[in-house]
Amino acid sequence: MDTRSRILSRIRQALRERPRALLPEHPHPALSQDPLELFLKRLAENGAEGHLLDEEGVRRLLANLAQGLAGAAYGKGVPAAFRLLPELPPEEAPLGVSRALFAVAETGTVALSSEDGRKAQLLPPVHLVLVGEEKVYPSLLEAFLDLKSLPSALGLHSGPSKSADIGQVMVKGVHGPGRLVVAVLQGTW
Amino acid sequence: MGVKAKLYPKEAARLLREKPGVREAVTGATLHFEQGRKKAYGEIDAEAWRERAKRVKDHLLSHLDHYLELAEKRLREKGVQVHWAEGPEEAHRILREVVARHGVKRAVKAKSMLTEELGVNPLLESLGVEVYETDLGEYLIQLLGEPPSHIVGPAIHLALSEIQRLFHGRFGTPLDASPEALAAVARKVLREAFLTAELGISGANFLVAETGTLALMENEGNIRLSTSLPRVHVAFVGIEKLLPRLADLALFLPLTARAATGQRLSTYVSLIQGPSREEEEGPKEVHVVLVDHGRTTLLHDPEAWEVLRCLRCGACLNACPVYRQTGGHPYGYVYSGPIGAVLDPGLLGLEDTYPLPYASTLCGACYEACPVKIPIPKLLLTWRNRAVERGLAPTWEKGAIKAFSQVMQSPSLYRLFSKALRGLPLPQDLLPLLKAWTEGRGPLKPSPKPFHELWQELEE
Repeated sequence: MDTRSRILSRIRQALRERPRALLPEHPHPALSQDPLELFLKRLAENGAEGHLLDEEGVRRLLANLAQGLAGAAYGKGVPAAFRLLPELPPEEAPLGVSRALFAVAETGTVALSSEDGRKAQLLPPVHLVLVGEEKVYPSLLEAFLDLKSLPSALGLHSGPSKSADIGQVMVKGVHGPGRLVVAVLQGTW
Repeated sequence: MGVKAKLYPKEAARLLREKPGVREAVTGATLHFEQGRKKAYGEIDAEAWRERAKRVKDHLLSHLDHYLELAEKRLREKGVQVHWAEGPEEAHRILREVVARHGVKRAVKAKSMLTEELGVNPLLESLGVEVYETDLGEYLIQLLGEPPSHIVGPAIHLALSEIQRLFHGRFGTPLDASPEALAAVARKVLREAFLTAELGISGANFLVAETGTLALMENEGNIRLSTSLPRVHVAFVGIEKLLPRLADLALFLPLTARAATGQRLSTYVSLIQGPSREEEEGPKEVHVVLVDHGRTTLLHDPEAWEVLRCLRCGACLNACPVYRQTGGHPYGYVYSGPIGAVLDPGLLGLEDTYPLPYASTLCGACYEACPVKIPIPKLLLTWRNRAVERGLAPTWEKGAIKAFSQVMQSPSLYRLFSKALRGLPLPQDLLPLLKAWTEGRGPLKPSPKPFHELWQELEE
């Protein structure tokens, strides 16, 4: 017998007399708060910066972030209108810009697809994420129940990279970006 | 890692004597985590969350064969190569093949307790592969050549001054370098490793059967980098780590984060469905190794199986007054603290892990903290009973434990006995069992009132 069959057969033997526990249903929580408002609040609590902006506002935010920078690394989904800086490889870029698949209000999270590209999300010290306001789910549960297909990797980012492993002192930007800026775009996008 | 659990009392005493700073560092860190957990539990209906999580895990475990086969099918559909391993030997063979086939010279590792169980680092080193632990805490203890001392914070036993000395010797940083400066040095070394490694190794917090999704939680970004930059990713997954449905993550990811660090969600969660697709960044080859290593034996055990619900959040360590005194090293195995005291005997056998089930005051704080309601105090007593039955514990204990558990399980008996103990003069010299206690202390004087009365008065 191979390892797989041995392990599975031992499990079946172990479970022969075990009562079978039922799988509980998912709960149906209703969020009382406005998801957009809660999302921005949670982002701030996570140490990230959140802005609710129209297209012009995003361009102003980008121009602001871009000051003095030589270029940026872009995710595939970032529209040309928001590529204000020359493109640089993510290994060298001082700024990464990506477009989120969705966001979650209760945890202050942006969900980033590997289809958008992973390096721009992780290597530059500053990360700007664009997300449409209609993509902000109230809760993680609603987002997961609604997901129809999954990319090869989905990254949930809820703030800047941090660690307290050195003497219990919180340090930001340990491996990933030390600064996370999220722009929620008003209107359909 | 060798099992040194038998040495527990001696090792604990030695550590307290030789490294008094450990108690301070561990107590500080665990109290901080514990406060975070309490606050995070306070924001939710913790009892309802814990009960639901327990029920999902119980369902999963009582249908484990079904979900393992489903997970394997889904993983294969996504192009993941699935392997099964009984323990270290087979895990090593799988890894050796990957290393040889891809000519791996350098590997980056995400923190994983299972890879500690399997001795992955010593194997890779013996194959001439340079291994970098990339979690900052894990990197520190790798530089020091120490095993992790906490499930979530592997280096919480180290004071800042020790890390400053370590980096001074290793990288020439000033002896008073700030945590930010030290982290920047580590970031530079590890960034280079991420960009040049051919192999990324991780564990998994969860494996979702319905979708074949590997879920990994962290705060630093090192796991996302380890599973994104190298060409090959190998994930070691304990067979108990499964979840039935993708949406179950909506409960388990936040619950684990709240229990472990008091966060609503960890900063980074990686949900991995397989190798990167055409024209996409990411590993071209993903392997999942499903590992038993004692878990099916535990599943067979009519009492101890409940420990398989464990999410490895470390909350019980942070809540434990015994763990706080010495940290994890004296426990002598990968899993320390209350969960180690009930998991290690199940994985390794009681003979090798006695007297770990005694490393507890049975105060119950671990149960209150546990996100999946593992009855740790009850399981500690189960293992103690077995130790007595197998002649591992002194024989007087057999009667004592039986009497103790009868008294503790009956409120009326408990009141009667505590009243009797308070009323009777204690014959100190007739209690040879207490010799070790009375040697260093004054005579035992029972409180005139029972604790529950004192508590009531305090509340009034």
